[in-house]
Amino acid sequence: MSLGHESLAEFLCWQTLSAATPLMLAGIGELVGELTGVIDIGIEGLMLIGCIVAYTAAAATGQAWMGLGAAAAAGMASAALFAGVVLWGRADQIVAGAALNLLALGLSATLWSLYQNHCANLGLSTHLPRGAGYDLVAVPGLSHLPFIGPVLFDQYTLFYATLLLAVGIWWVLRFTRLGLMIRALGESPETCVACGIPVRLGRFLAALFAGGCAGAAGAFLSIMRTKAFAFDMTGGQGFMVLALVIFGRWAIGPLVLGCLFFGALNSLQQILQTTRYTLADPWMHALRSVPFEFFQMLPYVAALAALALLSRRHPGPRALGQPWPQEVA
Amino acid sequence: MAAPQAWFLARRTGRGFDWIVTLAQAVAACALVLALVLTGLAVVGYSPVAIVTRWACGAAGGVYPLTSSMVEACPLLLTGLAAGLTFRAGVLNIGAQGQFLVGAVTAVGLTTRWLPAAAPLVAIPLAIAAGALAGGLWALLASVLERYRAVPVVLSTILLNFVALYLIRALLHGPLQAAGTAAPQSPLIPARDWLGVLIPLSSFHWGVPAAFLVAVGFWWFNTHTTWGFETFAGGLNPAAANLAGIPVRARQFLIMFLGGGCAGLAGVFQVLGVTHFMTASFGDYGYAGIAVALLGRLNPLGIALAAIFFGLLDVGSQRVQESTLALPQGVADVVKALVILFMLLLGAYLARRHLQVTSLPEAAPPASAGAAGPPGSGN
Amino acid sequence: MLEWFDISKRFGAVTALQGVSFSIAPGSVGGILGENGAGKSTLMNILFGLLHPDAGSLRVDGRVVLVRSPRAARRLGLGMVHQNFKLVDTLSVLENIALAVGRGPGLIPRRRLRRQVQHWTDQLGWRLDLAEPVGRLTVGQQQRVEIIKALCAGGRWLILDEPTAVLTPQETENLLDSLRALARQGMGVIFISHKLAEVRQICAQVLILRHGRTVYAGATAGLSVQAMAQKMIGRSLEPLTRAASGAGPSPQPRLELRAVCAGGGRRGGETLQRVNLSLQAGEIHGIAGVAGHGQDLLVRCLLGALRPTSGEVWLDPALGHWRHRVWPGACIPEDRRREGLIETLSVQSNLMLKDYRRRPFSVLGVCRFARWRQRATELVERFDIRCRDLSAPVGTLSGGNQQKVVLARELADTPPLILAVNPTRGLDVGATQFVLRQLLAARYAGAAILLIHSDLDELLSISDRVSVLYQGRLQATAWPAASRDDIGRLMLGV
Repeated sequence: MSLGHESLAEFLCWQTLSAATPLMLAGIGELVGELTGVIDIGIEGLMLIGCIVAYTAAAATGQAWMGLGAAAAAGMASAALFAGVVLWGRADQIVAGAALNLLALGLSATLWSLYQNHCANLGLSTHLPRGAGYDLVAVPGLSHLPFIGPVLFDQYTLFYATLLLAVGIWWVLRFTRLGLMIRALGESPETCVACGIPVRLGRFLAALFAGGCAGAAGAFLSIMRTKAFAFDMTGGQGFMVLALVIFGRWAIGPLVLGCLFFGALNSLQQILQTTRYTLADPWMHALRSVPFEFFQMLPYVAALAALALLSRRHPGPRALGQPWPQEVA
Repeated sequence: MAAPQAWFLARRTGRGFDWIVTLAQAVAACALVLALVLTGLAVVGYSPVAIVTRWACGAAGGVYPLTSSMVEACPLLLTGLAAGLTFRAGVLNIGAQGQFLVGAVTAVGLTTRWLPAAAPLVAIPLAIAAGALAGGLWALLASVLERYRAVPVVLSTILLNFVALYLIRALLHGPLQAAGTAAPQSPLIPARDWLGVLIPLSSFHWGVPAAFLVAVGFWWFNTHTTWGFETFAGGLNPAAANLAGIPVRARQFLIMFLGGGCAGLAGVFQVLGVTHFMTASFGDYGYAGIAVALLGRLNPLGIALAAIFFGLLDVGSQRVQESTLALPQGVADVVKALVILFMLLLGAYLARRHLQVTSLPEAAPPASAGAAGPPGSGN
Repeated sequence: MLEWFDISKRFGAVTALQGVSFSIAPGSVGGILGENGAGKSTLMNILFGLLHPDAGSLRVDGRVVLVRSPRAARRLGLGMVHQNFKLVDTLSVLENIALAVGRGPGLIPRRRLRRQVQHWTDQLGWRLDLAEPVGRLTVGQQQRVEIIKALCAGGRWLILDEPTAVLTPQETENLLDSLRALARQGMGVIFISHKLAEVRQICAQVLILRHGRTVYAGATAGLSVQAMAQKMIGRSLEPLTRAASGAGPSPQPRLELRAVCAGGGRRGGETLQRVNLSLQAGEIHGIAGVAGHGQDLLVRCLLGALRPTSGEVWLDPALGHWRHRVWPGACIPEDRRREGLIETLSVQSNLMLKDYRRRPFSVLGVCRFARWRQRATELVERFDIRCRDLSAPVGTLSGGNQQKVVLARELADTPPLILAVNPTRGLDVGATQFVLRQLLAARYAGAAILLIHSDLDELLSISDRVSVLYQGRLQATAWPAASRDDIGRLMLGV
């Protein structure tokens, strides 16, 4: 019960929102990408790259915003590589995404050991220095409201930014011609050509946006929530995001709700893991006999169950995953 | 979601020496990537020459390094088949890792807990069969979810990887945990149940040649049997294959089962032949298998070659890491990933050129009326 | 005036257009005639800025212009109505218009657009629900959206590519009236078609293309339909022998649909309602109808991709048992590239896609490729398939040859039962004739053929009987006694 939360419920809610933030952020990016027809299953790798780059950049400069900026930039750069291979090289998007994941795994390991070598040579610690991580930001005035205040208005910067982004993207998709262009790119690229909208450029920009979001989501994990780096830090959250986009049927509202649901599951899982030995509730007693790995498994099983129960075949954008132009002449 | 396209398959024109061209392309891609990565390392301050010599000695300098490279190639080959066979059939099985783990844990359970007293002649074949079966069934789970609940295989296999991971952790913490340890770790498998070593003093167990035989078997299956033809046709265009009376769905189930079985077999061979016990982190062969499959162009024989290359790469880079050069870990993964990306680009480019070249002879206006309209007849 | 002079365009070794000139005045309708592959589409894509000519120039109102992009074409007042509509199904009518007409990424000016659309729909006497997703409109309505789109974008020259291919005779009449109305208001209309009668009816001037060259450019007035056809094809067509001659249908049905209902799930859409249909040996039973009235469901029911909600499909026991998922006869699917062929697979494999599992071609699950080659060689000769060699990917063949591969595979062994869906789609006249002749030959050999076809003229030319699908109901007609107009009326449900 850290951070001075008054009740378990309050902590659970706070934790839910905080755990949902990276899912939402990466999810919004992936959603925009998929709406234009680019499916990037390398989102997990992009998040991991965001984690390591944010951590090392923040630690090296001592500036938290440098970490965040570098993470977003690294996410965009990797996404640019992916998009280049997929859009201009016409490679299969799923397979290229899988390659991106492997690349991220290797790159983060390489970068991390280079960084450790560097620190060892200079006799520095690899811990994140003070000020290089983000702290919670309490919204003046609102954070003192009962329950809502500590839950909703005492969060990390990126949480507020993500909420604004979600509303912004919803507005763009609903009311602007940019939104029409995004949807048309994934639904009917041939229409875009007739309207003078450059298909590959549009998709490229959307993929960049997705990469930037995923990188920032990675930064959230490493320099906001934990202020540490570990190789299994993303732990499949990027894949969860892919499931959530399908689960939300390519709409932003359901996507956010799904993220909150999985955030809740995630934090419940963590709380169950840590508190089942301390609570003397008889109900908890029963839980104690369940191996904690099953709690860790819970989000993945829930994601599968949600897909199985709720995703009756919704085709998604018609041109999703298809190369453009379709015929090579 | 997109079905895998034909362009990451080798050209099959049936004439001449296409396979040599394909092989040359793969070698060129690998060489290019290695050069790129070495240049990168040189920029960071490593000596490429030292790395290459150390790497070559560590991977292939003598009998012992060679055998360990081959032993490393064995699980890569089998997980590569798991990915390659299914990709070829249009099923994007990204879940070789989970199938690999499930196979391994089944073998561990059988040999250490459930059948500890059985004679090796019974226990080993049983463990192999059960492990392969478990891997196959784990893979089928994804197919079933797609068939009845419309869950994309790509996603379900990925998510099942994580489910498998935590499942084996739970098992290694629970019923399969070794006595007297708090870590998630299985007891040592009795030595009589280990796979026999073919070259004394090395780890070259008989699972390695067996894996290569499996690859040859699947090559024959793909090229000479009606089921191989059916899976291939169904993978390229399920709608047309279905209409022609090919039971596409049934073949996808079959190939998913076989692919999962290969991955499970990889797990069994690894645990019975190499590690002899299991911990929570048991290797990432499942993910690497995707790279192997693509480098091998989804052809079982190509996959075998690709697995050998990756085996050399892994063992060699491990030696360089351990040496005074202190190569950062993860470089081998970077090489693998870049090789995939290069192969994808190359494949797409060649497919484009191939289509252009072959469509030219028809480009002339039709000789007799009505026989053949010129190509690009727009409407 | 919209004029173009000496336009030439080559693709590699192929000359798509060679020195084509034409002009059209505001307030008139001009036609462009030509077979598939004659260069019509290339010409239109050049006008519209999607392709750039190797030589030649374009003049609008006397000024020489360069059209670099579709956007530039739009600025010059050129509005294009493509044959495959450039509409996004999931967006509403208004959003589609905003996408095409607007500029920049900003807010959608809904009120202004609505006013603009209102203006044009009032002029033409059309009604359009602007909030409806385009995917739910009928084809005719979608075409109107396309025309409105072009007009709202400030188009003064309207180019329509094969606009009547998907319409019923009555809808076609309405469209031609609307085009005349637009011309009266000073618009220039270019009407691209291969339907000679329509061109003659509406166009004052016509340009006839063959193999990328101008065969005729001038007034339509003195030109008979036969003369036009002669110029367009380069030879006169021998008429098809009508099915009515020769052996008539036997009274024994081979296939019957008895009160079959299907479709209409939660999301609505097409349905089949108590469809009764019988198919006899030695007949071609044509099914006419506007696309989207249940043809798709009918095909899927027959092929077993869809289980009927009620009713039964009966099959002559001699042909085997009708099972869910397995169509016992031959099938020429509508979309040969998606359903008929595996494009990246070789010609040989495509030819063997059905026979590979039969005895001489495989034994105990092991393929015998020598037999495959023998068989494929024989079929290639018999059906005159032009290909480089048997191992060429079938996707590299021309459309007509691709369809021949499908025909060879499906019809070679005189199957007793054939289902053909739009078998001539996208083929030129010669290939079309070939396909229709093959179907007739199969009929004389005693096959029972169900022909679902959207081209009414072709359908009527070879069918023994014609039924009409309208909103999921099948109505029998008295063809050949019934008139073409009666069938057109049934297609419209009036």
